[in-house]
Amino acid sequence: MAAADSASATLRRRDLCSRGIRLAGKMRSDVVDLLDTYVERQGLDASASVAAVEGVPVAAVERWDEQTGTQRLLENLAAYRAFRALLAQMLEEQQEQLGEADATLGRALAAVLLQVSAFTYHLEELLRLENRGPPGEEAAVPPMPPPLSLFERKLRGLGVLRELAQWAVRSARDLRQLTKPGPGSGVAPSPAESP
Amino acid sequence: DSHIQYERVGADVTMKCGSMDWDSAVTWTANGTDIDESHLNGSYLILKNVDLTQSGQYSCYEGSPWHLKYQTYLHVGVPPKEPVLMCRSNNYPKGFYCSWHLPTPTYIPNYFNISVIHGTREMVCEKDVFPKNRCHIRYLQLFSTVKYKVTLTVTNALGKSSTTLTFDEFAIVKPDPPESVVAKPVPNNPRRLEVSWQNPSSWPDPESFPLKFFLRYRPLILDQWQHVELSDGTSHTITDAYAGKEYIIQVAAKDNDIGTWSDWSVAVHATPWTEEPKHLTTEAQITETTSTSTSSFMPPPTTKICDKGAVVGSGSVAVCWTAGLVLAAYGVLFI
Repeated sequence: MAAADSASATLRRRDLCSRGIRLAGKMRSDVVDLLDTYVERQGLDASASVAAVEGVPVAAVERWDEQTGTQRLLENLAAYRAFRALLAQMLEEQQEQLGEADATLGRALAAVLLQVSAFTYHLEELLRLENRGPPGEEAAVPPMPPPLSLFERKLRGLGVLRELAQWAVRSARDLRQLTKPGPGSGVAPSPAESP
Repeated sequence: DSHIQYERVGADVTMKCGSMDWDSAVTWTANGTDIDESHLNGSYLILKNVDLTQSGQYSCYEGSPWHLKYQTYLHVGVPPKEPVLMCRSNNYPKGFYCSWHLPTPTYIPNYFNISVIHGTREMVCEKDVFPKNRCHIRYLQLFSTVKYKVTLTVTNALGKSSTTLTFDEFAIVKPDPPESVVAKPVPNNPRRLEVSWQNPSSWPDPESFPLKFFLRYRPLILDQWQHVELSDGTSHTITDAYAGKEYIIQVAAKDNDIGTWSDWSVAVHATPWTEEPKHLTTEAQITETTSTSTSSFMPPPTTKICDKGAVVGSGSVAVCWTAGLVLAAYGVLFI
């Protein structure tokens, strides 16, 4: 029975990883398109440098290949929960700023927000399968940033989308690592399982 | 003491004979050959509008027998033009390399210095032993939005020049072409070719960083390529080849998510399977058209030897069968 459960969990894990990889690929493609639309609609320079913005999860990581499976899942989950909140905020600001005048941008933002939500669900499920259980939502959501000018909000939005595009690539790689046999894909045993 | 000096092409060069006075009587040689006095101003050697052929060893002698008073090696050259710099990652995610060259020679030694900045961090670019104009950098971070800034400065005795490249981590990812491309005919399938290849050996982890492939093929007799993009696997069966025509086939690779396509692989040639033609051993048989049927000898269908107007019943076969018998008998006589 235990073996059957384990086999079932392995299959479920592989299935979630495969779907997650495909979703990450689609998400990245859509975010790249959204970036073009956003830059155009917001009157920004596509090559503008954006300094790291507080509250935006940074995809850059050192020693990526040494991370455990659990670390990958937890970092991804924290990031996508933050993106979910940030995109929702961007959508609200965009509707306030431009209203129905720019439905295209609003629709594109909403579509990506939906994908981010779906991906977050995948990550939560994967963590449940690892007997980890996802951490509480409050712990992952970054604090509200101070009020920004319109231009600062536009730049922050640019930074959000750029980092999200990087995260989508990183997430696909992370999920592939999880499907590989060997220590790189392993997860740390939960307290109940540790010797 | 022997000296070295570097001068620009087209410059006017004045060489002093060491510490000798201007009015000392001296003799100058270039690569062992006496220099005419018309090039002297006192004891100074004057070379006007020097060119590359005037590079060499210049020596100044005094008295008889000659005492060597001064010697210098003149190198005529030009300052460096802006170097050409390229950076690429063919082994992502391990790192990337940068290579460079000068667009035109300087004819004198050049020194290259490269700096790599990522954000606020200066990274070490380890020079390759061979080729000398290349160095490689290990990625310390992955998935960064911060750009890399690579500056190459080339310096020689006559001047310096530099160039800077700025790029994203993803933008320079370009695998090497696929390796070991093989194309084979498929037995009993005149329109198929089986193509297989391997990931480039320089790509360190195709499992975590899978490649996708682009295959192109055309018969040698046509210029137009057919293209197929393949998201996984390292083989493909071409099913629409022209029967009997030799094909040329190439494959390119790209990371599934980022970067650009590799160059095309080495081209391979293959011809789809064709049935072996029957060997005709008699003169009569050689003059007849070949039938594609594998059955015993029958009159070829293109041979019009019967009158369709005389057909009775089920068709021309009835009348032509008689003619066929005649031909079969004829053929048997000459086997």
